[in-house]
Amino acid sequence: MAVISVKDLYRVYKLGKVDVHALNGVTLDITEGEFVGIMGPSGSGKSTLLYQMSLLDRPTSGLVTIQGKNVGGLTDHQRTRFRLNHCGYVFQDYALVPELTTEENVYLLPMAQGKPDTESIDTAREILGKVGLSNRLSHLPRELSGGEQQRVAIARAMVNKPDIIFADEPCANLDSVNSKRILELFKELNQENGQTIVMISHEDEDIEYFDRVIRIFDGKNRER
Amino acid sequence: MLTDFKISFFLAVRMLRRSSKTGTLLTIFIIAMVFTNMIFLSSVIGGSIELMNEQTVDFYISNIIIKPKEDIRFIDNTSSLVSKVNRIPGVSHASARYELGASLNHKSNEIALPVIAFNPDDEKLVTKIHEMMKEGQFLTREDRGQVIIGNYVAGNVDESKDFFESLGGVKTGDSITVSFVNGVSKDYRIKGIFQTKSYQTDYKVFISWNEMEEVLGYPLDQSNELLVKTEAGTTEKEVKRTMLSYGIQEQVKTWKEQAGGLFDESIESFQIINNITLIVSLIIAIIVLFIIIMIKTLHNKREIGVLKAIGIDEDIIIQSYVIQTLIIGILGITIGFCIIQTLIAYFLAYPIEFPDGNVSLYVETGIMIESAVLLIIASIIAGYLPASRIAKEEILTAMRG
Ligand SMILES: Nc1ncnc2c1ncn2[C@@H]1O[C@H](COP(=O)(O)OP(=O)(O)OP(=O)(O)O)[C@@H](O)[C@H]1O
Ligand SMILES: [Mg+2]
Repeated sequence: MAVISVKDLYRVYKLGKVDVHALNGVTLDITEGEFVGIMGPSGSGKSTLLYQMSLLDRPTSGLVTIQGKNVGGLTDHQRTRFRLNHCGYVFQDYALVPELTTEENVYLLPMAQGKPDTESIDTAREILGKVGLSNRLSHLPRELSGGEQQRVAIARAMVNKPDIIFADEPCANLDSVNSKRILELFKELNQENGQTIVMISHEDEDIEYFDRVIRIFDGKNRER
Repeated sequence: MLTDFKISFFLAVRMLRRSSKTGTLLTIFIIAMVFTNMIFLSSVIGGSIELMNEQTVDFYISNIIIKPKEDIRFIDNTSSLVSKVNRIPGVSHASARYELGASLNHKSNEIALPVIAFNPDDEKLVTKIHEMMKEGQFLTREDRGQVIIGNYVAGNVDESKDFFESLGGVKTGDSITVSFVNGVSKDYRIKGIFQTKSYQTDYKVFISWNEMEEVLGYPLDQSNELLVKTEAGTTEKEVKRTMLSYGIQEQVKTWKEQAGGLFDESIESFQIINNITLIVSLIIAIIVLFIIIMIKTLHNKREIGVLKAIGIDEDIIIQSYVIQTLIIGILGITIGFCIIQTLIAYFLAYPIEFPDGNVSLYVETGIMIESAVLLIIASIIAGYLPASRIAKEEILTAMRG
């Protein structure tokens, strides 16, 4: 069953008087539990596609359906709520909140869902344990290495047990050892919990981790 | 709703604690200063008004004044009225005063001033002039041929230092000639000089009731006014009502009614100055907080984008900045409050010397609360506007920083 369904998706950025056609009619489905890689050259529209699917941006035209629901019809507040409850995010530059410690960055999300403090903290610690950061709980992001920060970001993306995790080149800033570790972590989570993962990558060696690869060129997908 | 507030508070506290402390402390300090500024001037003004009021009661009118019925010059049967008034509940004591026009001479100096007679024993229970003897002694009941005069009446040898026409710097023990309007002219020894710093009082001349009887040549049972001291814990209005209910036929006025117009104008101009300071202070507070939060939110633009991306509602984010400015505002106000308390204590020990007297700070709780509330509203506005501007931006635009 398709957890994400994208139909005739267009995204035009207005840059002064110039129109930048970042997406030119993408249509695709992502099945529940899939670990999907999105690949393609730089500037081809991978990030733009991911933002549309993950409710971080609105398409110029086209339809995004998640779990059978047309998310284009939601208000901004509803979309924010939807992201909190159904999506996890990992960005290339970690995007942690600099004033929050490792565990605060993670338990912020269950707390925002209204879960009790102790439950939120326990879940966060458990997941941070899984990503190997039990001894870094009260460090601030600036006191962590890049690899550690990205593992915090992954823990944060996981903590609410989201249906889908979106990752935009999560390993781009990491060395090969750390990259491998992160990818293996994703694979593990995908297999253990059956979560859908959509990840952008431009490293060919990542392909072995993916169940399927969607290739994007000039704002169109070449898959299928 | 409660969860939202909890998250806002959670974020606000951590952002305050873990971002630039110098900036936050400086902001708190500025708010403290603004609050102090808002209160300080008004409390100096309050202190001056309070001083004028105190002086009026202590040296000039006492609490209540009884005057002759309309169109009549004197209160007749004064001694029986004094005893009657003294028996009225709420009245501490009454003192009758009788005025006779005169001109005073010392060497080449001559001034025209009424000479006022009172019974020193009564007067001591009603006004505090006797506590303000600059030199010499206060009058006693038996004093004949002696006079006490106010500081401005005595004046200075150097006349340019005088506020009013004076006797040119007379001292205790000097002799002055008093020519009364009834034709009697007599030399008096100056028994003392008082300085109350209330200019109306310090330009007065007093003799004893007995001396006045001698000048007039008959027993005096008339007066121009009765000053009435009320008991502590009563209000003048209450006592006035009681007096009227006891059938006092003469005009009865509280000191406020009597002084009324005297200070109204200066109080009004004080209040205008005060309101301008208040508004300027508030504008400064709003602008300072606004700039600080503006810089902060611009600096945190990326972070705000991230928070929105991972599912924190923009309202929660805006609220967290408002809470930050509120905390800054409340801390500032608290520190400002402490500064003011310190100033009050200081000026109580070392009052500001004004020509009219020594002014301590007098802070009205109302003004304090009003200023605090206004500053808190300013904090909310100053936090809300910049934060909502950034928080309402597109997520991706914000995340790009
Ligand atoms: N905010 C924007 N305004 C204008 N043009 C944009 C904006 N964001 C992206 N673009 C343009 O849209 C196109 C697609 O960008 P996108 O970021 O999706 O590419 P990408 O495939 O993710 O590239 P990369 O691998 O370098 O991250 C590019 O030509 C880019 O310049
Ligand atoms: Mg990209």
